[in-house]
Amino acid sequence: MTRIRFLLGAVLCDARFVGLLALAIVAAAPHLSEATRQLISFAVINILIACSINLLTGMAGQISLGQAAFMGIAAYASVLLVKVAGWPFALSVPAGALMAAAAGWILSWPAGRVREFYLAMMTLGFGMIFVEVVREWDSVTGGVMGITGIPSPQLRSLVVFGRTLDTADYLRLLAVIAAAVLFWLSGLNRSRVGRAFFAVHESETAADSIGIDSAMVKRQAYTLSAGLAGLAGALYGHLVSYVGPESFELHRSIEILVMSVIGGLGSLPGQVVGAVALTWLPLQLEVFEDFKFILYGAVLVAIFVVMPRGLAGLLFPPPRMIRPAWRQAAAPPTATTGGSARRVVGRTVLAWTGLRRSFGGLTAVADFSCELAAGEVLGLIGPNGSGKSTTINVLSGLYPPSSGRIELAGADVSGLPPHVVARRGMVRTFQDPRLVGRFTVLENVLLGAHVHARYGALEAGFGIGRIRRDEPAAIARAAGVLTAMGLDDVADRVLETLPYGYRRLVEVARALMVEPDVLLLDEPAAGLSEGEIGRLERAVLDLRAAGVAVLIVDHHMDFLARVVDRVVVLDGGREIFRGAIGAMRDDPKVAECYLGRMETTDARG
Amino acid sequence: MRFTITLAVAGLSVGSIYALIAVTLNLTFWTTRTVNFGQGAILMLCTMATAVAARSGVPIWLAGTVGILASAFAMVIAERVCVLPASKVGGSMGWAVSTLGFGILIQGIVSKYLGNQAVAFPDVVLDAAQFVDLFGIRIGAQYLVVFAFSLTVIALLDLAIRYTVWGRVVQAVAQDPELTRVFGVPMRRVVVVSFALSGAMAGVAGILTAQIIGTVDPAFGFSLLISGFVASIVGGFGRNWGALLGGLVIGVIEQVVGGYVSTAAGHGVSLAVLMVVLAVRPQGLLGRAEAVKA
Repeated sequence: MTRIRFLLGAVLCDARFVGLLALAIVAAAPHLSEATRQLISFAVINILIACSINLLTGMAGQISLGQAAFMGIAAYASVLLVKVAGWPFALSVPAGALMAAAAGWILSWPAGRVREFYLAMMTLGFGMIFVEVVREWDSVTGGVMGITGIPSPQLRSLVVFGRTLDTADYLRLLAVIAAAVLFWLSGLNRSRVGRAFFAVHESETAADSIGIDSAMVKRQAYTLSAGLAGLAGALYGHLVSYVGPESFELHRSIEILVMSVIGGLGSLPGQVVGAVALTWLPLQLEVFEDFKFILYGAVLVAIFVVMPRGLAGLLFPPPRMIRPAWRQAAAPPTATTGGSARRVVGRTVLAWTGLRRSFGGLTAVADFSCELAAGEVLGLIGPNGSGKSTTINVLSGLYPPSSGRIELAGADVSGLPPHVVARRGMVRTFQDPRLVGRFTVLENVLLGAHVHARYGALEAGFGIGRIRRDEPAAIARAAGVLTAMGLDDVADRVLETLPYGYRRLVEVARALMVEPDVLLLDEPAAGLSEGEIGRLERAVLDLRAAGVAVLIVDHHMDFLARVVDRVVVLDGGREIFRGAIGAMRDDPKVAECYLGRMETTDARG
Repeated sequence: MRFTITLAVAGLSVGSIYALIAVTLNLTFWTTRTVNFGQGAILMLCTMATAVAARSGVPIWLAGTVGILASAFAMVIAERVCVLPASKVGGSMGWAVSTLGFGILIQGIVSKYLGNQAVAFPDVVLDAAQFVDLFGIRIGAQYLVVFAFSLTVIALLDLAIRYTVWGRVVQAVAQDPELTRVFGVPMRRVVVVSFALSGAMAGVAGILTAQIIGTVDPAFGFSLLISGFVASIVGGFGRNWGALLGGLVIGVIEQVVGGYVSTAAGHGVSLAVLMVVLAVRPQGLLGRAEAVKA
């Protein structure tokens, strides 16, 4: 069974198969009946739409209940450009898609400020506003009557480059466009662009912590998704030769969402399956139309519990996020934690002065000053609630400091957003490892290489330009880090199938991929076995030798004693001790804060 | 000026219904941190059931009771089928999509078996032709009754939240569900009661709306839900008095713009308010920003 799934997945996801299928449609188009041509044309357009919402909702995790509005914007734009402005079809369709993409980009600004169900409400509102505008603005859009008599293949009035297109030609055009889009998406998904979408989906905070600008990633997802939906919408408008507001209402957006979740959110071949199924079923089953909304409703109610990965979860192996070609092109790994020679051991890289952070009336960190030198390992300890994690949160930019100054390599970084701090060379890990559960170890670690690659969506999709150099280099480096951390044997295991201890080590490995000068580790040894602590220890000592400054918050004293150069003890947000870990054990103030005040035995009192 | 005042009174009246809907959203938000995207269908269900029962000769008070029970029951099912399982999936996408689906499901069933046509809604208290004279301006008595009724229901709920044991538990759950559970509070029961009450009150909101509009059809709840969202968002989610303020403001804006420009423009403006408030001040006019926790 697994074997069949694997074969099916391998064949259907293969670019050559998709190309052959498109070629077959191109060859067979003139011989098909009119009804079959129309069925396939609708299926192809639905595939494009399903892929568009998959990008935004399935991959980037941004729910969209207004996807049909993007289609509508492009459909109206393209149709009006042809009918009113006299543009050629070959220009109006891309122009419509670009306008939809622009609308997506604009929507991404307010949408980027809200999350969760507020986003669902906002996209719902966006979709409804579009329809209201179209209805009201009837001098341009024809109001509720819509626009008819659009040059179309059915009316034999669509002329492209001097050639009149019939429905077979239009089907050919659609097949070629869809094959190109699917090819592009399959490359895009398995690149830093697609991986960043999933990373933002999983945790924006974690994505920011390794230098991925989650706000920008979301804007990119909105823009690409809207552009793709727009392409589908423009092609749809010319296919049916009529556009009206009812084609882009909420029920259409719901239908798009249903296609995508039935197919399987996050899976590209799943989108094809979902779109084809929901195009074909209504035409085969007469009763479908009667029960359509009951069925859609039932699907949306049950899918996340019954079949969270949709049909793709049944039919195909889970999608992988690295193209095998780049892996083959990668140089053999050399074990390294990523230290580079440019760091001068002993020079101060991080210094903070008068750092203070309060939450309402509670001061978590008060007037804390310290510095870290390249190649130094500093332990930050103290009882629970003493301000250790807050210190890391403030240093890494997650919270702006209430007052105080943070200097990284001589430049002020206080108050900068986390992804900028990470790019400047200070990276942190979390108490609860925040990784992408459905990624393999290697894919997770590759997220850390995001900031070092320069290629964009176009290069990623078609496998041209800078991705040819950046991606194999990143894979080789990731393999090297995994070898150094002793994780190379689990590199291809899916993360959520691994024990907890591994996840911590993987998170550290991912942070190392950013090649930080300063590494902030928040309780890295918690929950690790002795063997895993040994690996962690070796990694920390490696980093120290390479001149990386490491700040460790932890409660595991034996582990700390083996790696730190000195410790700072916090209590109630204030520093109470600084020095060697041996001296700390004898310090009365430290003992007091952990064990409570020793009553000075005074029998006379 | 007279026209504006007439519109404003109508706006306050429908706005009070929006506030009532927003309060029913609060009830589920407090206890489970979820918002029912299918609430529109719930209130449609009650109103449709009442109208259909009344049409077949059932006395109106009985028909209304049946409708309210139906929507309360539907909410209990929604909690069991959509909210409870989704809390195990994590994130809000699960329950947002499944409650939306639940609403579509109910709407689909109602239009399949009760028909897609608008059904005339019987007058419960006053008929639409009755007017009162207020400072020389003729105002539909219906509007005043609806306004008074929704305000009373909201006030009663607020009193119940403040002064009953159940209400205090709801407040506690809203503050800290984990801690409340630790104290041995029967959470399931509190949640189920909140959902049932939310459904029942949504049903009341539906009946009140139908009093003003005069008819009900399967698609009737959705735009009401959107207006309820707007009221919630403007006032700040989870706040009853915020919901009241938001509802009244939106109701008046919608009616005044609707009266001077067009109904669709009125609706469009309230959607625009939704988008702008979400973008600029997601915590609402009265709400405080929730602290980000790492």
